[in-house]
Amino acid sequence: MTETSRLFLGRIALYAALAAWAAFYLAPLAVMLLTSVKTLDDIRTGTLLSWPAALTLEPWLKAWSGACTGIRCEGLAPFMWNSVLITLPAVAISTAIGALNGYVLSKWRFRGSELFFGALLLGCFLPFQVLLIPMAQTLKALGLANTVSGLVLVHVICGLASTTLFFRNYYVGVPDELIRAAKLDGAGFFTIFWRILLPVSTPIIVVCVIWQFTQIWNDFLFGVVYSGLDTQPVTVALNNLVNTSTGVKEYNVDMAAALIAALPTLLVYVLAGKHFVRGLTAGAVKG
Amino acid sequence: MAALEIKQVFKNYGSVQVLKDIDLSIESGEFLILVGPSGCGKSTLMNAIAGLDDITAGSISIAGRDVTRLSPKDRDIAMVFQSYALYPSMTVAENIAFGLEMRKVPKTQHEAEVARVARLLQIDHLLARKPAALSGGQRQRVAMGRALARQPQVYLFDEPLSNLDAKLRVEMRTEIKKLHQRLGTTIVYVTHDQIEAMTLADRIAVMRDGRVQQFGTPQQIYDEPVNLFVAGFMGSPAMNFIRADVTRAGSGYGVAVRTARGEAAVLALPERGAGLGPWLGREVILGLRPEQITHVMPHRRDEPLVATLECTVEVAEPTGPDTLIQIRLNEQDVNARIEPRAQAPVGQAMPLMFDMSKAVLFDPATEARCH
Amino acid sequence: MATVMARASGAEHARRDRLQAWLPRLVLAPSVAITLVFVYGFIGWTAALSFTSSKLLPSWNFVGFEQYLKLAENERWLVAAQNLLIFGGLFIAVCLAIGVLLAVLLDQKIRAEGALRAIYLYPMALSFIVTGTAWKWILNPGLGLQKLVQDLGFTGFTFDWLVNPDKAVYTLVIAAVWQASGFVMAMFLAGLRGVDPALIKAAQLDGASLPRIYWRIVLPCLRPVLFSALMILSHIAIKSFDLVAALTGGGPGFATDLPATFMYAHAFTRGQMALGSASAVLMLGAVLAVAVPFLYSELRSKRHD
Repeated sequence: MTETSRLFLGRIALYAALAAWAAFYLAPLAVMLLTSVKTLDDIRTGTLLSWPAALTLEPWLKAWSGACTGIRCEGLAPFMWNSVLITLPAVAISTAIGALNGYVLSKWRFRGSELFFGALLLGCFLPFQVLLIPMAQTLKALGLANTVSGLVLVHVICGLASTTLFFRNYYVGVPDELIRAAKLDGAGFFTIFWRILLPVSTPIIVVCVIWQFTQIWNDFLFGVVYSGLDTQPVTVALNNLVNTSTGVKEYNVDMAAALIAALPTLLVYVLAGKHFVRGLTAGAVKG
Repeated sequence: MAALEIKQVFKNYGSVQVLKDIDLSIESGEFLILVGPSGCGKSTLMNAIAGLDDITAGSISIAGRDVTRLSPKDRDIAMVFQSYALYPSMTVAENIAFGLEMRKVPKTQHEAEVARVARLLQIDHLLARKPAALSGGQRQRVAMGRALARQPQVYLFDEPLSNLDAKLRVEMRTEIKKLHQRLGTTIVYVTHDQIEAMTLADRIAVMRDGRVQQFGTPQQIYDEPVNLFVAGFMGSPAMNFIRADVTRAGSGYGVAVRTARGEAAVLALPERGAGLGPWLGREVILGLRPEQITHVMPHRRDEPLVATLECTVEVAEPTGPDTLIQIRLNEQDVNARIEPRAQAPVGQAMPLMFDMSKAVLFDPATEARCH
Repeated sequence: MATVMARASGAEHARRDRLQAWLPRLVLAPSVAITLVFVYGFIGWTAALSFTSSKLLPSWNFVGFEQYLKLAENERWLVAAQNLLIFGGLFIAVCLAIGVLLAVLLDQKIRAEGALRAIYLYPMALSFIVTGTAWKWILNPGLGLQKLVQDLGFTGFTFDWLVNPDKAVYTLVIAAVWQASGFVMAMFLAGLRGVDPALIKAAQLDGASLPRIYWRIVLPCLRPVLFSALMILSHIAIKSFDLVAALTGGGPGFATDLPATFMYAHAFTRGQMALGSASAVLMLGAVLAVAVPFLYSELRSKRHD
């Protein structure tokens, strides 16, 4: 066999392997989509990957507005709204605070600021289980138990570490001389932040917002512990929907529901995936 | 009234003393250069003058006003940074006007100020651009323009030319000199390049290890260095330092030298100051700049402080206008500057003329100048 | 200009400057307070609770290490801890292997690299609940994978791991690996791209084959990435709660229980607050056991630089 034909076969094997792995990652998505448009009979007689005998959008309609998630049988729609009410404010607030913190930690260091940063970082690593009970007691005492505001508070508190990390690492890359020049020009603390740093912060704001949105929307632990029946986020509702076993298991509705719940973050990933990856690897290489 | 007065300034970083007893003062319109190797404290001193860092002891006054406790924006100064520090999200015009805006100058005046400065520095056509779209030299000018718009008492330049390539550096150096001559502003300028120091300054402060080694005009620093460090730092190629013993030379004194070929000679020293009596027989360090060791110029041969020696050429480096050769005296390497055509081939000897009128002597123990 | 300067009094300057000097501290203060109270304070609170006999509500009746002793004898906890080791170990090992493999494959100047990368990574954008739900269906004993393979002709194929108490924990591994291996790939790919190409060229000149170059030269350069990946994967493994809730519900029985689900169950649904607190403290201990040596070695290497 000649060298070139050996290389050629090598490339084919390479692409074959890559395609096989792509199939592995895409298969569950394909299965979910296929199952969500089949009738229950179809599911029982067919297999995971068999094409639907008759396409139906019934499961989607039911998942959206009719399926039972515990006591209520209104589908996922109301809970999607809950997730929106929880996620958007939490993302906005934690990003804003993270930006200011990152600004202080990178440009206005003082005795103890590095120590605080270390403490914050360590807080990133801790399993949230150690915070669950005290947080529940505190929310009860503040009258925020089972409320959307309570969940927003929890997410802001637990998101502070990552957002601060993002902005601090980014602002460290902005030359200190820029700040000195602004000080000489007479700009004060907030003016420098508003007029000089923020205008060049778009890349990191995008990364931070996407990261926070994905983390908070996809959260389940805080949702299940701190929300009430009416204030559940969509992840909790989805889990209830899938696990309530009243009568016949409607796999197609389950799959449709899972896809509905996954849609927002998947959409964000498809549209802005590059920034999502940057957020992932940035957090990972923090060292 | 001095434009800038620095009195007995000390600065500590924790337990390390980075500025030690700095005493400098310049008049209005003077160009002061702080020069020294990295770590000597020149940038620290500049930041202290600017108010970006505070000092542990001493005082700083600008135009008669004590500014030691004032924040940078209240000191009536402007600074051009090494990396120019132009605000990336603003246009050139906005960059220049930012300081005006901070000091609540009415918006109607901004345009006039920006136009005035732009005309001065020939950056009118760049006003709508952002810093990313400018070349290094253009950014430098905008940075200067930002400083000019403030019309401060003192301008501070922190190594503004080190980010430019060699050719651009020479061009901008001349520009700065012309600007200074035209505007008559007071400038404090930091550099590690001693050529910049020599060409631009009215007065130079040579710094080392947080202390001012010598403060004087360029010519003073060049011809009358106060110690070994200053002598070796200023001038390129560097001054030769030759260890030699002091002996008698006729009715005066001289130093004993031995060439590579083994010939001994005495180079007569000029008479100055306290005289060399106490140094007779002791070893000193003779400081002689390469341009004082040249090829033989017949019309100067008979001058009293001029000596001629046969020396072997060890290494030759032609630079175009002259050739630098290295010889051995007292078993030490010595550089000489000769005319290219006079050079003997490497390994052969040639006559060299030593002009001792500007020779200086240093005490080997204290490194201070002793003659 | 100078007259404007002179008019503002020195005292006014000083007051304004002092406020400015305090602003950074003021701005950071809320976050400092939040971290001190809501993170470190709460950890202390949970630890304190673990030494009490709290059941449904917190009580401050201190009983020493009783809860920890109870945990040591609690069969469900022991199963959970063992599961964590099995699940964690397999999850990390398989993720690393797949991640490194995919990264190396993608590093070969592939034409559709961007698209492939996007495909390998998209599971990270999903909630673990969605992942668990999907895989629960795929691994459904009667109608899922088993039926698919049987219908393809392999009539003897069975795949009932989901309901098999001995095998169920491995289903967790499958789903978790599907979700997280793309992330490991992304990290290693970024790391590979950071390797000095001159090193590879030198090795090629020395006559090394491509696989050997990767194994002996490139991968050893990626030790920092490996440590980062290990840290993050361990973190995910120890925190795993959502996946178990969706995929197996901890079952069959509590065969797929993990410390996180154990803690939730006892603290919130079974009225055993102190026992749950103790389990949370042990989880914290496990994380610190991994994080502290890592941080220590990182700090030490930074000091050498």
